[in-house]
Amino acid sequence: MPEWLLKEENYITKSDKDTFINKSILSLLNILSRIRAQNSSSMDKFYANPALKIAFTLMLVTLISLSRNFIFIVIINVYLLVILSFIEAKDIVKIFKISFIMSMFTFIIILPAALWGNGSSSILITIKVFTTVTAVNILSHSTKWNSLTSALKRFFIPDVFIFVLDITIKYIVLLGDIMLNMLYSLKLRSVGKNKSKYTALSGIAGTMFIKSKELAEDMYSAMECRGFNGEYHISKKFKFALADAIYIIINIGIILTYFYLH
Amino acid sequence: MHIPDNYLSPSTCAVLGAAMIPVWTVAVKKVKEEVTNVKMPLLGMGAAFSFLIMMFNVPLPGGTTGHAVGAVLLAILLGPFSACISVTVALLIQALFFGDGGILAFGANCFNMAFVMPFVGYFTYKFIKDIVKSQKGEYVAMAIGSFIGINIAALCAAIEFGIQPIFFKNASGQSLYSPYPLAVSIPAMMLPHLLVAGFIEVVFTVAIFSFIKKVSPGTIYEGAKRKTKAIYALIFALICLTPIGLLATGTAWGEWSIDEIKDVFSGGSALGYVPDGMKSGFSFAAIMPDYSVKGIPEVVGYIISAVAGVAIMIILFKIIGSLKKKKVKSI
Repeated sequence: MPEWLLKEENYITKSDKDTFINKSILSLLNILSRIRAQNSSSMDKFYANPALKIAFTLMLVTLISLSRNFIFIVIINVYLLVILSFIEAKDIVKIFKISFIMSMFTFIIILPAALWGNGSSSILITIKVFTTVTAVNILSHSTKWNSLTSALKRFFIPDVFIFVLDITIKYIVLLGDIMLNMLYSLKLRSVGKNKSKYTALSGIAGTMFIKSKELAEDMYSAMECRGFNGEYHISKKFKFALADAIYIIINIGIILTYFYLH
Repeated sequence: MHIPDNYLSPSTCAVLGAAMIPVWTVAVKKVKEEVTNVKMPLLGMGAAFSFLIMMFNVPLPGGTTGHAVGAVLLAILLGPFSACISVTVALLIQALFFGDGGILAFGANCFNMAFVMPFVGYFTYKFIKDIVKSQKGEYVAMAIGSFIGINIAALCAAIEFGIQPIFFKNASGQSLYSPYPLAVSIPAMMLPHLLVAGFIEVVFTVAIFSFIKKVSPGTIYEGAKRKTKAIYALIFALICLTPIGLLATGTAWGEWSIDEIKDVFSGGSALGYVPDGMKSGFSFAAIMPDYSVKGIPEVVGYIISAVAGVAIMIILFKIIGSLKKKKVKSI
């Protein structure tokens, strides 16, 4: 046997900071799991038409933003809580997490102004942020994302944007997977102190971009072979269901409440 | 830098959203012209790339992490109009699907990050690249372009925040939306971006671009078919920014008028008198005194003066240039 095999090796690895790799991996996994969950059956609750949902959520956010009446905002929050009670527990936790983090963040930023005499307005802004973030998250957690995308067509958004939106979501999954694998391999190959970890980041991002170009061309050819020519047509006729009626009535009620209280 | 909802009033958001509509229209038209159908998915790639870059945490000294936007990098790789659409879509996904907030402020965020940042960054890059024609010059151009791009975008955001307390107050004088005036919002936004975020953006842009250039140089945008004169865009932007001077109260040092110089404080006491040379000296009645025209709001007066000034300069230099050419010809 060669001599070097018989020598005793005592390599104690020194620990190195790789929080940023872990953070990136975690946030990536979060995003990918959100997108993949779109295929599960818990989506598309409250079978109201997605276009209506988008329009009314936007209206709700606008009204809250315009409102100066505390009672109105409380009523809207109660309405949102009622909707939340119909959603699955794990989604409720996710929604609340985002809402609380955003409102805490707002509160901290606005705090200096509140101490300088802007008190009641600052509290109002914090609550408004909570309400709007909750409303938007309910929309995104209770509707399938590709129905939201196709609903946008009704708002006269050009086909280019809808196409890009559609494939972006698919690409985020593809690219995210590639990025995830590269981050894992970086983590595995970083034994002990490794200064070139940081330069490796640019390599990861660059490789991602190049791979994405190849994927893009392949995917477009595949879509063209299946008859895609860049145009989007709405094939589903808008059938007015009971859920739509109830939804419209509730939202008209909200609008009337706004004008009554202001 | 993503502005959440309720920090800007709905009217501010509506104005910025309306300003974005022509930008998006032109971008869609340009992209349809310049990008063949096969290359369309690249926009989706750009958007996914931009989205993921915004999730990428970069280690900062002190144990925290920051993130870059990548709009200027996309503008250099895919062209500014494609970058505009890509960043718009990335922001839309963040706002609508991931509920990060910013549905009403979507127009404002797009204005800052999908319009101002890629265009300012790209044209700065082109401008410097055309002057310094060397390999290193390209990287310097990219660094300066991305640094200026992200900081101008941050400045726009700071101005959008800062004007809220001026226009939107409730009955008791409290600010309804973002409560910090310009004097607070501008330093608060600009300092972290000038000192930290700008450098992250530069490192990101240069590092990724050099990697791509080394490995696969054919993937880079070749530039617009017509020669875009970056300088004209810069002049236009500067003309639009001239009314900012109106925000400053008081007179600049050394520019006091006869009435003001009496009260100028110097060394602890006011001057108290008007120098004779000023009282009975040369007096000139300008056409547009103080850059204003009677009967028109000051902002418009400033812009008219700026346009007039630029036009007069261009005419003057053209005439001088043609005189010089005549001289050379006659030899």
